[in-house]
Amino acid sequence: MNAIIFSALMGVVMMFSGILTQNKSVLKYIAATGLLLLIAANLLNAEAVFSIKVNTHGLISFDRFGLYFNTIAFTATLVYVLLSGSDIGKVGSGLYTADFFALIFFVLCGLSILSSFNGLLMLFLGIEILSIPLYILTGADKRNLKSNEASLKYFLMGSFTTGILLMGIALIYGATGSFAIQAPPIVPSTGMVRASFLEVAGLILLFVSMAFKASAAPFHFWTPDVYDGAPSVFTSFMATIVKAAVFIAFIRLFQGQAVVLGPSWKILVSFVILATLLIGNVTAVFQQSVKRMLAYSSIAQAGFMLFALFSGNDLGKEGILLYTAAYSLATIGIFAVLIKMNDYTLEGFNGLAARQPVLAFVTTVCLMSLAGIPLTAGFFAKYYMLASAVKAGGALWLVVIAIVFAAISVYYYFRVIQAMYFREGEAGTAPISSGFKIMLIIVAALIILTGIWPSLVLSGFYF
Amino acid sequence: MNITQILFFLLSAMAIFSAIMVLVSRNPVHSVLWLIAVFFAISGHYILLNAQFLAIVNLIVYAGAIMVLFLFVIMLMNLNKDTEPKKNIWMKLAGVVSGGCFLMVLISLVRQAADMQGKAAQTGVGDIGLIKNLGKALFSDFVVPFEISSVLFLSAMVGAVVIGKKA
Repeated sequence: MNAIIFSALMGVVMMFSGILTQNKSVLKYIAATGLLLLIAANLLNAEAVFSIKVNTHGLISFDRFGLYFNTIAFTATLVYVLLSGSDIGKVGSGLYTADFFALIFFVLCGLSILSSFNGLLMLFLGIEILSIPLYILTGADKRNLKSNEASLKYFLMGSFTTGILLMGIALIYGATGSFAIQAPPIVPSTGMVRASFLEVAGLILLFVSMAFKASAAPFHFWTPDVYDGAPSVFTSFMATIVKAAVFIAFIRLFQGQAVVLGPSWKILVSFVILATLLIGNVTAVFQQSVKRMLAYSSIAQAGFMLFALFSGNDLGKEGILLYTAAYSLATIGIFAVLIKMNDYTLEGFNGLAARQPVLAFVTTVCLMSLAGIPLTAGFFAKYYMLASAVKAGGALWLVVIAIVFAAISVYYYFRVIQAMYFREGEAGTAPISSGFKIMLIIVAALIILTGIWPSLVLSGFYF
Repeated sequence: MNITQILFFLLSAMAIFSAIMVLVSRNPVHSVLWLIAVFFAISGHYILLNAQFLAIVNLIVYAGAIMVLFLFVIMLMNLNKDTEPKKNIWMKLAGVVSGGCFLMVLISLVRQAADMQGKAAQTGVGDIGLIKNLGKALFSDFVVPFEISSVLFLSAMVGAVVIGKKA
């Protein structure tokens, strides 16, 4: 409960600090301090030292997995704020910096609900608290037509999916008479669950809406336009921390309920994984804009994260935590560099290594992590995901296909590295401060450190 | 068949017919008016379930406030046949296929359902929709989501101010 309460409070604090000061770096450090407090409050909760007890009537339950996910997500947000926080002040007219930080804290409140919900009602509230600030952040650059279009598109499609989610919740409530996410008991004679057809139909609708939020194919159509149109700073936040939160909710929702769908569950998920990997990777190959390529690559990464849903075992849970850390760090790093570039196309990166060696090096480390090259965090993230699927059994073909697609992804990630190091060009950047360079190097160091020693992230899960 | 059952089927037929008319109407203003008819039919269902409070709130909030907003927006945008975007034949086909797949899933589920056969809709029983019981449920079992939804509204308000102001 600490994380939910403190993040909502910090949102209010940010709103009011906007009245007192318009100084952007002050606001940035207030937000960073708030995040540190939030991490501390969440850790105290996880260690059972201090936690605010609220009788939630079984609608929320806090477990180690959810709380540890909160810690990872808050830490990633802290890195994000320290790295790109000053760019948030440059979005639009620059008058709403405090409000943008407030909205980010509200998103974190939704995230901490999604990592601990125990009833469909809380799932709905969490998804909405997560989504509504994002619609605003997407349209934050009000004078930019593309940002407006992305915001409207995201809002319309998102509200439509919320309708589907509510329909699913209504059907399940009609079948079981409760919002609980525990599946009905298994009948010993058949070995299957005796579920009402309303429950099955409701679960399918829930699956559709969650797949939309996680941008899994064939519900991914909004992703490239929204990620491309939104201000780059907020794309970075949406594509990493928010997406991971949706996956946690997805796993929490279906870890008990998957039995209701019986054997068709695995077929459904493997089809979605296959489509997501195919569409994400193949379309990313043809992109000329690096930002749009990253949008498609985030669809492709979602395909890998779906393996945790497919396997549904503890290895998958560890994997999704590691994946969240690895993918968030790498994507936040790349976007931080991308925001500084004058030109978002591949040509814009030509010759970056000669002009800004630090930026080029960190981008290279991040891209290698996304591609899953050994010695970077992305390798172990992908390894855990595929290992969990192998352990769950019955899907070796899917694992082989995923490895093939990971190899394809190397092509489009390395095109950026090639442009930076082996092409002549005048890669123009905004002025780079030395503090920014130091933060970037810390991110790269964290990626490599996690790549060599993945238990750095995972040990916190157990101790 | 008693009077509540007759009313139930009448209201259901009205709701389904109006919902279909919302979709097939060419003129968006007609669609909105049909949608109001749907809300009235659903409010009738609430009254049959002994949930007067929900019925009235549904009428005031949805049929009243929100639909009037809808009508204003549509009239201000001055939509007519000329402004209706041309839809791609492949998009239509994709819509038919995906909608048809979903219909097939639902029908096959209903066909297999053993637990729903021979059950009729409950009418005229239950008192959960009364304002007293609703208030009790909101402030005891569902007090946490009730309070947390304030965060949702707060973030929506911040967003509305950010989006709505000029600069």
